[in-house]
Amino acid sequence: MLKVAIVGCGKIADAHVAQIKRIAGCEIVAVCDREPLMARQLSERFQIKAHYSDVATMLRECEPGVVHITTPPESHFELAKLCLNAGSHVYVEKPFTLFAHEAQDLIDLATQRGLKITAGHDDQFSHVTRRMRALVQSGYLGTKIVHMESYYCYEFSDTYAAALLGDKRHWVRRLPGKLLQNIISHGVARTAEFLTSDTPTIVVQGFISDYLKSRGETEIVDELRVMISEEGGPTAFFMFSSQVRPSLHGFRIYGNKNGLVLNQDQETLIRLRGARHTSYVEKFLPPVNLAKQYLGNLRTNLGYFWEREFQMKAGMKCLIESFYRSIEEDGPVPIPYREILLTARIMDAIFAQVATKEISEQKGLSLQTA
Amino acid sequence: MTLEQNDFIIGQDELILVTGATGFIGRQVVRRLLDRGFNRIRCFARPSAKAAEFVASHRQTDGSRLEVFQGNLLSADDCGGATRDAAVIIHLAAGRGEKSFPDAFINSVVTTRNLLDASLRSGSLRRFVNVSSFAVYTNTDKAQGNLLDETCGVEPHPEVRGEAYCFAKTKQDELVNEYGRLHGLPYVHIRPGVVYGAGNLAISGRVGIRTFGPFLHLGGSNQIPLTYVDNCADAIALAGLRKGIDGEAFNVVDDDLPSSRQFLHLYKREVKRFRSLYVPKLVSYALCNLWERYSVWSEGQLPPAFNRSRWNSLWRKTYYSNRKLKTRLGWQPVISTREGLNRYFEACRAGEARA
Repeated sequence: MLKVAIVGCGKIADAHVAQIKRIAGCEIVAVCDREPLMARQLSERFQIKAHYSDVATMLRECEPGVVHITTPPESHFELAKLCLNAGSHVYVEKPFTLFAHEAQDLIDLATQRGLKITAGHDDQFSHVTRRMRALVQSGYLGTKIVHMESYYCYEFSDTYAAALLGDKRHWVRRLPGKLLQNIISHGVARTAEFLTSDTPTIVVQGFISDYLKSRGETEIVDELRVMISEEGGPTAFFMFSSQVRPSLHGFRIYGNKNGLVLNQDQETLIRLRGARHTSYVEKFLPPVNLAKQYLGNLRTNLGYFWEREFQMKAGMKCLIESFYRSIEEDGPVPIPYREILLTARIMDAIFAQVATKEISEQKGLSLQTA
Repeated sequence: MTLEQNDFIIGQDELILVTGATGFIGRQVVRRLLDRGFNRIRCFARPSAKAAEFVASHRQTDGSRLEVFQGNLLSADDCGGATRDAAVIIHLAAGRGEKSFPDAFINSVVTTRNLLDASLRSGSLRRFVNVSSFAVYTNTDKAQGNLLDETCGVEPHPEVRGEAYCFAKTKQDELVNEYGRLHGLPYVHIRPGVVYGAGNLAISGRVGIRTFGPFLHLGGSNQIPLTYVDNCADAIALAGLRKGIDGEAFNVVDDDLPSSRQFLHLYKREVKRFRSLYVPKLVSYALCNLWERYSVWSEGQLPPAFNRSRWNSLWRKTYYSNRKLKTRLGWQPVISTREGLNRYFEACRAGEARA
């Protein structure tokens, strides 16, 4: 029985506990939060035997095989190091670390100690994403991936907006990438999976939306457009927006033969046929084909629902299950370390360019970032 | 009953701390305290545009002894500063809009613990008013049939109701009781029903829900435990002041409560017409039961948003009483239900016109 512990008992910890409890062959032996009341509430609600407010004590007394780190991002690096040094495998919620060099250090440490580590990019393991990956691997796109578009948007809730905008000491403001850092890694990781270079060129445009400006905000960048390119490899466009409606979470990938459109919210995957029909047929047959595909997606989703496998965090369950399997069988980790590092590097580059632009705007300079 | 100054535990010059002071109820509590001559009030509020506006408005009208303390109840330092010299704390701030259990918990229970620790350190506290909610009641196995009053039991398993607010408020009450028992904290629980007024225009879930598209009327002939915001605020203010009520709980509802059916009829007549579908109690109970079982069986594929505990709390046949509030606190509604509803419907109409 794999012994699991959770460090950090906030909102996302609930999802972790709920999904881990659905996995056979493991048991949550302890939860930990530096706020004892938070640790206690989680252990009470999910009937977990032990709760702690000190990570070192928990590691010593419970000796968990795996630790899930679900704390705010600034503590990920130190906590993951502590757990790895104590001999536990580690699952770190997104964003993996604040900086790419920290991500590299953690992966190096895990490798040195013969342990495994993964990042909480659970959207990469949703039903629809796995279907897309299988199609890409089958060669559906052709011999080459040409371009990707990743959309990851966010809709401010009134309570979150009030808490974040009203509090100049809010922890999100202390992150190097502020709001962006806490949210965009899912969308960036989608592109990282298919990029071939470890050092792509990143061009960033980041700005504060009129919505936030109207509420007096001067620091939080909530609109982001990113172009990613590499010599001889695919290009990618990434968009984050708090204002676009519908609030998109999707991915488009085009090869030299066909394309695919993934909608994460609706869990639909649409094949875009590369070859055109003759003349007017192109205007009539493809809509019929699209309608058939959407109905197929509906049938697939209903099937998952019928089989009780359509939980909102089904992707997280799959990622955790795959990670645990890689530990038990000493197999490959579900997310290659290269992908985790590339995601971190792209995010570093984005935040650096956004910060440079902010500084130049404060100084009244006109600057083209590239 | 006319209340005299010597019925109160503090003098008019002693400091009262009100948390959540810029909120819907908090503003009215401050107003009621000022009306009663207690003008040394420290208003705790999160830094926000609303707080700044509150400061500005009170600067114009009250000037002197109203103080606004902007901070975060999750900060022990802020709590220390806010509770210094406070003789009465009226604790209204809570994680009301939070949907996740941890968020509601941290913004209700952890904040309350910080405030309690700080007030114990301060040593000046004579009354802690814990503003709770009807959500904490289990509303089953009541001694007096369908009557829900202060003798009724609190939810023993608030985690199963699927409502983060219920869980957080029940745990907050437990924490306050624990501080009373272990540290001799002088406290009062005050449990408002459905607080309505110009700042809260939503139709209560006790009347019905729109979750599935059409409005499902679930309340039927049940009384709706309304309390107009001014009346509720007055009850809260009195709970902070009245002698001889430490350790007690008080439910707050107004007189002449309408049934759910009457409320809905009036709303449609006075605000706007819309289609509603009445769901008989037997059917709503069966559906809640079914949803609960499916949620468990499917390992949370549908969240446990509807369940028997919630049905008991919101839609079970229930009557309410404000007898204890009147006899022990000397409370009387300052706004009649007829007048309160008129004001509420007027605000709703204005809201509709703006939309």
